[in-house]
Formats: sequence, C-alpha cells, structure tokens
Amino acid sequence: MTDHAPPSLLEELPGDLMMWVLIISELLIFGAGLVVFLSLRISDPIGFAEAQSHLDRTSAAVNTVILITSGYLAAKGLHLRLNARRTAARLALVVAAALGAVFIAIKSAEFADKAAQGISYDTHPFFMLYFLLTGFHAAHVVAGVLVLLLVAWRDTPEDVEMGAAFWHMVDLVWVLLFPVIYLLA
Amino acid sequence: MDALTRAWLALLVFSGLTAAASTLVGGGADTRITGIVVLVLALLKSRLILSRYLGLADAPAWRRGFNLSLTLFGLLLLGLYLFPTL
Repeated sequence: MTDHAPPSLLEELPGDLMMWVLIISELLIFGAGLVVFLSLRISDPIGFAEAQSHLDRTSAAVNTVILITSGYLAAKGLHLRLNARRTAARLALVVAAALGAVFIAIKSAEFADKAAQGISYDTHPFFMLYFLLTGFHAAHVVAGVLVLLLVAWRDTPEDVEMGAAFWHMVDLVWVLLFPVIYLLA
Repeated sequence: MDALTRAWLALLVFSGLTAAASTLVGGGADTRITGIVVLVLALLKSRLILSRYLGLADAPAWRRGFNLSLTLFGLLLLGLYLFPTL
C-alpha cells in the first residue's frame, strides 16, 4: 500500500512560486499606491472629485471588459495547451495579446486627451497619482502583451502558465485600480 | 459550460453592475452607497480572477489567505473613502 502524503502548502500553489512572489509584490505596490491616493483625497475630496470628472469612465469601463476577456482567453489558452491543443492555444494567446494592444490604444487615446486638455501630472495631486498608477499599469500591459506573444511562440506548458499568470496579475490590478481612480467620486 | 467560462460571464455581469453604479453617481445618488457597491463589486471580481483565472480554486488555503487579505484591503480603502464624510 502506497502512502499519499497531502501536498504541502507550497506544493498546493498552482504554477511557479516566483511568479506568485511577483504577483504579491505587484499587488503590494499598486495597493500602496491606492492607499496613498485615497489618503491624499481626504484633505481635498472636492478637488479630487473635480479632477476625476475629467476622466473618461466609459473608455475605462470598456478597457475593463477588454482585459477581463483577454484574461479569459489567456486562461483558456493554458487549458488548451495542457490538453495538447497547441494551435488553438496559440490562437487564444495571440488574440489575448491583441486585446491587450487594444487596451493600450484606448489608454493612449485617454492620455492624449488629457494632454489636449492641458492636464499633466502637476495639474493636481489627483492627476499625479492617476498618471503614475495607470501609466505604471499600462507599462505592465505592454510587458504582458510581449510575454503572451513570447509564450505563444515558445509554448511549453510551464511557460504558457507563467505568461498567463503574469497577464492575470495585470487584470487583477486593473479591477482594483479602475473603481478607485475612476469611480469613487 | 465550464467553470472558467462561467467566471468570465460573472466578471462581465459584475462589470456591467459597476458601470450601472457609476451611472447612478452621475445621477446624483448617495456616493457613500454607490462607493460601497463599487468596492464590493471590485472585491468580487478580484476574488474570481484569483480563484478561476489564476487557479486558486484548487488551492483552498491560499485562496482563503488571498481573499482575507483582499477583504481587509477593501475595508481599508472603504474607510479611507468614507473618512471625509464622517
């Protein structure tokens, strides 16, 4: 009779441990940014609300749907790859990356619109944190698109799992950034 | 329908509800209530992403830890958001 020891806590964690270290680190960084954002808002809630009224909530909401759908395709891509359906997995990953590119295009238009309105990082503390947090997140989206394309090309199951996990982290950060920066008036 | 697809659809529904709540903000609704709704929806979305997209549904101890941490973080954000209204 074979003994089956239950998996240790670390063994239970799906995917690569280092990817989880990265995910937790990123969540802490962005989480700290959101705490600073709402802490600064305490001293000037009216100024923050006025500044927030210059943001385009509709395009940000569209971007949320885009990232959620892209994350779904990345997760689907991993499932397909684990079932040895490599072509379908690659297609899912490439479409996920393409949706990430759409997110960047919309975000770029949003930043261009702010520039056209004469709004920059030093217009108000709100905008300093808006540009810092959403810009830093957008940089992660760019990196994530490249990672998704890379793992679609070099598609070992481990690499696809890591690439998808990075993408889900980008997704997770956005669903926390979006309501705080765009919606909490 | 698999669990992943159900999670995606639930995320879309939560996003729709978030958009509806933000419309209410523009319509003059009590921002304290809509703020709570928006943060709760964000928490639900983040739990789904962790559970289904990142696979923590198969790691219940880690899922509990992440969910607890996120809930506490959400409460901190809510406290900071509501503080000016006190």
